[in-house]
Amino acid sequence: MTHVLGDRRAIFMLLAPALTVYSLIILVPVIWSFGYTLFEGNAIIGFDYVGLQNFQLLFTDAHVREALSFTVRFAIVLTIVQVLLGYGLALLYVFVLKKASNLVRTLAFFPVVLPTVAVGLLFQQLFESAPRTGPVNGLLNVFGIESVDWFGSSTTAFWVLILMESWRSMGFYAVLLYAGLVDIPDDLLEAARLDGASGLRLVRSVVLPLSLPVLLSAVIFSINGTLKIFDSVLALTNGGPGSTTTPLTLYMFQTSFSYGQYGYGSSIALLLTVLCLVVTLFIFRSARRDLTKA
Amino acid sequence: MLTRERKRTQVVTFLGLATAGALLLSACSGSSPAGGSTGAANKEFTYLSFAENTSIKDTFTSLSTGSCSTAEADAKLKVDNTPQAAYDQSIQLKAGQMDLPSIFASGNSPQIAKDIESSGALVDIGAELSDMGLEDAIIPAAKSTIEALYDGKVYVLPTEFNVEGIWYNKQLFAANGIEVPATWDDLVAAADTLSAAGVQPFSADGQDGWPLTRLVGNYIYRSLGPDALAKVADGSAKLTDSEYVEAAQKVADLGAKGYFGPSVNSIDYMTAVNQFLSGDAAMFYMGSWILGNFNDPEANKIGNDNIGFMPFPAVEGGAGSADQLAANVGVPLAMSKSRYDDGAKQWLECIAKNFGAQSLKDQGVITGFKVDGDVGEVPALTQSVQDQIATTTQTVLWFEALFTPKASTTSQTNASLLVTGGVSPEQFMETVQADLDAG
Amino acid sequence: MSLATTPTTRPLAASSASAPRRLVPRRRARSIGTGILTAVLLIVVVGPLVWLVLGSLKSQSEFLDNAAFALPENWLNFENYTRAITEGNLGTYARNSVLAVIPSLFLTIALGVAAGFALEVMVWKGRGTVLLMFLAGIMIPGQMILLPLFTIYFRAGLTGSLWPLIITYTAIGLPLTVFMMATYFRSVPREVFEAATLDGASILRMFFVVAVPLVRNAIFTVALVQFFFIWNDLLIALTFVNSDELRTIQVGLLSFQGQFGQVEYGPTMAAICLNVFGTLLVYLFLNQRMMTGLTAGSVKG
Repeated sequence: MTHVLGDRRAIFMLLAPALTVYSLIILVPVIWSFGYTLFEGNAIIGFDYVGLQNFQLLFTDAHVREALSFTVRFAIVLTIVQVLLGYGLALLYVFVLKKASNLVRTLAFFPVVLPTVAVGLLFQQLFESAPRTGPVNGLLNVFGIESVDWFGSSTTAFWVLILMESWRSMGFYAVLLYAGLVDIPDDLLEAARLDGASGLRLVRSVVLPLSLPVLLSAVIFSINGTLKIFDSVLALTNGGPGSTTTPLTLYMFQTSFSYGQYGYGSSIALLLTVLCLVVTLFIFRSARRDLTKA
Repeated sequence: MLTRERKRTQVVTFLGLATAGALLLSACSGSSPAGGSTGAANKEFTYLSFAENTSIKDTFTSLSTGSCSTAEADAKLKVDNTPQAAYDQSIQLKAGQMDLPSIFASGNSPQIAKDIESSGALVDIGAELSDMGLEDAIIPAAKSTIEALYDGKVYVLPTEFNVEGIWYNKQLFAANGIEVPATWDDLVAAADTLSAAGVQPFSADGQDGWPLTRLVGNYIYRSLGPDALAKVADGSAKLTDSEYVEAAQKVADLGAKGYFGPSVNSIDYMTAVNQFLSGDAAMFYMGSWILGNFNDPEANKIGNDNIGFMPFPAVEGGAGSADQLAANVGVPLAMSKSRYDDGAKQWLECIAKNFGAQSLKDQGVITGFKVDGDVGEVPALTQSVQDQIATTTQTVLWFEALFTPKASTTSQTNASLLVTGGVSPEQFMETVQADLDAG
Repeated sequence: MSLATTPTTRPLAASSASAPRRLVPRRRARSIGTGILTAVLLIVVVGPLVWLVLGSLKSQSEFLDNAAFALPENWLNFENYTRAITEGNLGTYARNSVLAVIPSLFLTIALGVAAGFALEVMVWKGRGTVLLMFLAGIMIPGQMILLPLFTIYFRAGLTGSLWPLIITYTAIGLPLTVFMMATYFRSVPREVFEAATLDGASILRMFFVVAVPLVRNAIFTVALVQFFFIWNDLLIALTFVNSDELRTIQVGLLSFQGQFGQVEYGPTMAAICLNVFGTLLVYLFLNQRMMTGLTAGSVKG
């Protein structure tokens, strides 16, 4: 039977189309762009070979340091928050709401549907402090707390960004994880219930181990998405105040296209790609250890 | 089981059909004549615009059916546009493929046009115009602005000419016994009086940052003279020199006293305009393009008669003077050499002769072209600004005009921190200077 | 199995009314807690929708002067919608979005499911490496492939059509699709496939008859996710489209912004509303399909 599952012609027919498209449209341009890391200039004025100068710059550039620090902090916090929220919702759908979860699931997914432009505008208004008092500050005022200028300091702007992105993506992660949870065989759950497991214990001892593969892909997907956050930042804070909420992607985009330094921009992109790779491998490693333990 | 099977088949069939249909349709739209540098290029006069700017496009369109119909017969006008956010990127990609349009908006920063020019892809518009005997088609003030921006050369067309200054609410000034300030100290005193009376002195778009750095730039021009920022650009002076830091300090002081209102960093352009036009703020630094909003009675609740314009005041003992108005040419247009054929030439001649009048008449936009002929009724405030332009002999630029794109981004994103105390004036100037030094 | 006939759009109220029969008292308290939780969730999620609709009916001065959640002064002020459709050219943009999204969605799913199967179920040397290669695609910042891709499309004569969008969307969607499908195939017991091969089915037949139906829920889930990614894309659409006839709906949402930072809020909100309600219909449709698959296919209940 391994003979049939190893049929080379079938493998080729199934894999070749995807691999071709992927290689031509993603891999080739990526390698092409990485080639530019050794050059200076842009498409208008042409490229000059500069060796490793771009990488040296990478280590001394204060903007890179700031953007890298923001990106890493943001990705870690947001990944934890959005996967946890999504998992909580998915558990809610599967074990509490069960068949009735349809409506809630539909609604919780709704923020994913909204264009980023709209979400940015919405959160700007929710957290507005002047000239009008937005709903959030209004609520604070009710409790006698003074209005906070949310976008005026990097710390508060950071947390509003986290909140906005969690709100936007929790429904998405819930659906992603739901598809994994729903496949857990019922007899396994029943057996555990008969053994007296219920509530949190049931989740910890039965559900969590079984949904670990899907959870793992959600975490990997989330961290790779959050490390590359771009348009939400652009829509909500535009990297501000100052450049304190500027992620690497935004700095890379500005460098490549607004500042006309495509080679250096590619070096920043390479840095980001390596970062994603390292983090993903790290998660893989630690997850494999957990899986073998369980 | 049977029904399930059938349902699945239905879905698959539906998706398949939909895809086939969509592929067909997109294949059809693919054959539309939008394509690249084929033979059709000679018969078209292509214009690439900022999607956000409709007035130039509309003026071109009216010209094509009116004064420029002969040029149109030779080379048909074709307008495309790209949103501002992606514009620089788009121009870079096109320039890299030698596929620039006949005429195009020159990008978000002067650097883009400078780069393209250095690669030899732009028409020397100044030379072409003198060949046509149209040396005086561009008014002197606009010409000097262009030359200051583009290293003394004229390879762009001034489809807008804006002067900048402080618009003020006459009623609020009168109610608080304030005369129009002639010096910076008068301005600060006026702001003190207004603030004490519970009126917000300035409204400003801190989200975009540039309206705040404009104040810094103007102060530098007034205190150190019209060549002060050119010196920074060529390296003979540094922003970190104490006389430059002073300008940032003065603006930061206004912010520290809360004269820009609360959370100025979250105030966007429309909100700032609205604060001034609702009478919530007494002064508003802005360019003359804002007249479009002032002339809209629904937006303007204080009334046009109630608005005055003053140049940025002088700094006592400074090397500059208040009659050196800050000016810009909006988004100037450049023309690509590779598409500069007879049709494009005719268009250029026609634009130089007629654009100014057409734009003023249809759009109420003041351009850097000489205006000939009847322009119809012009609102009084617009007229007064135009008179002011006519008497202006020397203009100055804005703070970031000669900076690298990176330094200007840094300056504008840090502007709101400067006025809210998030960074000190020294830090602000240091950060911008660091990016200037990095090239 | 009897539950398979339950209407899938059954409202929440009806289900909680029939539920208590089975509840023991201790669980009743919990169900109240759940109810509150659900209610909070609904407010958090539906609130913005209300804000959107309210905003789309307001004039510019109402938007600037009144509170964010203030009611519109004139409920029948549809001028914003008229402007969104006429000036904002929303019809054309929506058509372009559909023309770009549907083919790329179909291609991504078709190619991705096949590749996921080949990489997870089939046994061959090097599949781990290829899977990792696809996974690497998730890590690449999309901004960096723009310049080379633009050159490729230009040389291939594809600029000025929707093909650059369709091709790019398909390719960009592949890593996630392949990765997710491989994950879902992994959760299917291997015995199922092995048994099928023992019956003498050819691999390709088994793929279509056994494997695809097994992961149908997952396919719908991934399709749903991809749909919104592609539909809401701004970066690629901005880069590869610069003629008005080919612009997609997300780019169209920028129509009401001005050169100096002016925003016309009303028409923008109206355009967003139309966009959102359109995609919500798609979502409800796909979601319905997903639920049909789930209730019919699963043995829960």
